[in-house]
Amino acid sequence: MPWFSQFGLTEAAIRQVLNDALARGADDADVYFEHLNSTSVALSDGKVNRASTNVDLGLGVRVVVGDSVGYAYTEDLSLASMREAAQVAAEIAAGGSPRPVAAITSRRMADRYPVTKPWEKVDMATRVGLVRSWEQMTFAADPRVKKVETMLADTQKHVLIVRPDGRMVYDYQPMTRAFVSVTAESHGKKESAMANIAQRQGIELYSDDQVQAMVKKAIDHTMILFEAGKPPAGEMTVVLGAGSSGILLHEAIGHGLEADFNRKNISIYADKIGQRIAPKGVTVVDDGTLPWARGSINTDDEANPAEKTVMIEDGILRSYLHDEISARHYKVAPTGSGRRESFRSPVLPRMRATYMENGSYSPEEIIASVQNGIYCSTFSNGQVQIGAGDFAFYVRHGYLIENGKLTRPIKDVNIIGNGPKVLETVQMVGNDLEIDIGGWTCGKDGQSVPVSQGMPTVKVEKLSVGGAA
Amino acid sequence: MSGASGAGSSSLMNAAVEAHDLARTLGADEVSVSVSRSSEISLQRRAGKLEQSQRATSLGLSVSLLVGDRFSSHSTSDLRPEALRAFLERAVDATRALEPEAERRQADGALCGRGTPDEVLDQNDSTWSALSASDRGEKARELEAAVDALPHRNRIISATVALGDSSSESVRVMTNGFVGEHRGTAFGMSVEMTLEEPGGRRPEAWSHYGANHQSDLPNVAFLADEAWKRAEQRLASGPIASGRYPMLLENHAAGRILGVIGGPLSGSELHQGRSCLAGKKGAVIGSSKFSLYDDPTIPRGIGSRPWDGDAFRARPMPVVESGVLQNYYLSLYYARKLGMDPTSGGRSNWVVPPGQRSVAAILKDMPKCIVVTGFLGGNGNGVTGDFSYGIQGMLYENGEATANLSEMNISGNVLEIFHQFEESANDPYLYSSVRSPSLVFDGVQFSGV
Repeated sequence: MPWFSQFGLTEAAIRQVLNDALARGADDADVYFEHLNSTSVALSDGKVNRASTNVDLGLGVRVVVGDSVGYAYTEDLSLASMREAAQVAAEIAAGGSPRPVAAITSRRMADRYPVTKPWEKVDMATRVGLVRSWEQMTFAADPRVKKVETMLADTQKHVLIVRPDGRMVYDYQPMTRAFVSVTAESHGKKESAMANIAQRQGIELYSDDQVQAMVKKAIDHTMILFEAGKPPAGEMTVVLGAGSSGILLHEAIGHGLEADFNRKNISIYADKIGQRIAPKGVTVVDDGTLPWARGSINTDDEANPAEKTVMIEDGILRSYLHDEISARHYKVAPTGSGRRESFRSPVLPRMRATYMENGSYSPEEIIASVQNGIYCSTFSNGQVQIGAGDFAFYVRHGYLIENGKLTRPIKDVNIIGNGPKVLETVQMVGNDLEIDIGGWTCGKDGQSVPVSQGMPTVKVEKLSVGGAA
Repeated sequence: MSGASGAGSSSLMNAAVEAHDLARTLGADEVSVSVSRSSEISLQRRAGKLEQSQRATSLGLSVSLLVGDRFSSHSTSDLRPEALRAFLERAVDATRALEPEAERRQADGALCGRGTPDEVLDQNDSTWSALSASDRGEKARELEAAVDALPHRNRIISATVALGDSSSESVRVMTNGFVGEHRGTAFGMSVEMTLEEPGGRRPEAWSHYGANHQSDLPNVAFLADEAWKRAEQRLASGPIASGRYPMLLENHAAGRILGVIGGPLSGSELHQGRSCLAGKKGAVIGSSKFSLYDDPTIPRGIGSRPWDGDAFRARPMPVVESGVLQNYYLSLYYARKLGMDPTSGGRSNWVVPPGQRSVAAILKDMPKCIVVTGFLGGNGNGVTGDFSYGIQGMLYENGEATANLSEMNISGNVLEIFHQFEESANDPYLYSSVRSPSLVFDGVQFSGV
């Protein structure tokens, strides 16, 4: 196989490692090889003054017995070290007759992130030129800009996954991310904001249009803060702008539908499959198939193809997000949601790109329907307690809505609610779905994975807004 | 399982010296190399079964380079000699494409070294190497048995117990002559449990403890009991009316509020004009009752260290003393950029001096007080100092808990919150690098219904 050379492997060595993993009578196992190269260049203080590179290479071996997992990894791909890792992971099994390893055959997966200009062929001077040009564009755009930082990063990840049933999948997973950060001064006051984009693409992502949009966003998001104040405190109607407000779905619903939490009975959505949990018109999906999206994957990290999973269909809870362990538990097919941060971490059910499908209202109709409330434009982070169902997300800026119109800008406010309660009170869904292009990263059990999120404009009857009374 | 040969740190030292010398040969003027190796083991049990067992030894090298005053940093886990050489060649080459900054030059070697002897820091538990797989398995079973022995076990719908430990060694070699070796161990234990209440909510709670020495961890019954108490505090919770309330912030949760000062104190934020504390060194930023110290020299401290990122000898410093801002966090690079003296680029242990009274005594004297036990989401704006966090906790009235709280936020400002500080309790929390007692603030803005 051509990609064996990527890792310096032979088929015989892989078979030996899998045999060791299964030697004590495990139900299943996988070997996950990863080779990662990343580069970043950053500008601050008027100079392209920092670069970094990172190389990571290793093997993770997982051994599964029922719902139990034994895990080990090594950064040393010598046969001796790989076999030792497999033997350590196999200790989870009590001892029994080993399962045979089937003939290994390579599976082809969809190619959702073809790269036109691969990063391997981009030299440092080109990267330096890009971050420098973004800085110049930003300074030129507004005289109030006092400091600019720009950054460009790319990662090439090669993974090879082999299973005892003979499935072998190779995937090349590119990623690039860039940001522009602005500090501006106006009438003696300072404000700062940033904009970033991230996709599974080569350098072709940074077209003039794309870069201009990023710079405009960084400037607009900074300048609006000079006019913004604190919103009032307490429960109120909240309209979420299209795009990155998908963070609400990620926190309020997405995590709670990851099947490991339900298998353990600790999610507020456990035992609710088939039940209505949202009004008609609310359809929420987790989709690993969007072209070039940061959260997209050709294969999940268990060698299952990624798919578009409908979690809530017209208000009815249809599916959790499954890895193979939870899929076996629930006797359903895995949804291609088994993901891991790196070869150092075992697979968990994770989100990919989470979004709500379009409804029928125009954004203008939705805003016009609100007497008093707030409109949320940009977000930074969120969190959830999957059992209690309480979740929160932080709004960088937005607007007050008064008598059906956007009025005074607001900034820096945490919004908190309860997932199931909020879902029940989704009142209007817009027709303007937008998948955010920002560099979102999701954390779970100490593992970070890249995700995407999206949303049409949506109106929620009430959420608790952390403003000033 | 790692690529390095030999067991002791001498092999790490050899690897670091070789990489240092090779990078110099390839054209770097100044090099700093760190090589570290760690072994970690973790176990998780649920419903009477081992749910996950993980074990690995990890080896990594990181290097920062100065080539003609151009700076870059790199890391790799591929330490095969031919791969390492190619890695360093690429790293040196990449650096040449950048722009020079003399501020990146290494510190005078005479200022670098070990601040506190290793035997005083005492971060390495020598009993670690004698721990066997069966010792760990037995401890995990004991922890699970402690949960099963709780009087209300039948109300817990799921409980997961976990324990983990690690041993790590690292060496660092710099062109300025600095050579350092450090070893440490870490032990952690946790209990996570979920209860169910009418209406379908399944509130969850945790107890988690970490320490350098196994003998410093609390016993298994304490962990189980604490997780239960915290879970009970989350039953039938909800918001109360928005308004200003006194706040008692539990010791283990204090880091979130103390942390609002962290960003604005950092050299990078000061230099980028993103700090609400710029120009405030020597100024009053809080109540005269409030002090905060940075101390890397505390024996067995979670955040203790022999040297910092610049390899400066680690030493204690006041951050805020009697309400007056004493020091920023300035690495050598940002100190040079800002024309100030370096302190340290990052915090070690944060210490808030404890007070005289117990939490119970303090609460008894307060007609109404919100006890904050944890946070949910939230963030801040270091330029303006504004912050807003989701909270969970309890309403106390004259020393009695009268409601469990959730779906509420607090909001405030870095330049105001420490003026609202009233009192420290006598219960410093020692299982974190934030060694704070429970803290009382007056008139904090809460939003609920």
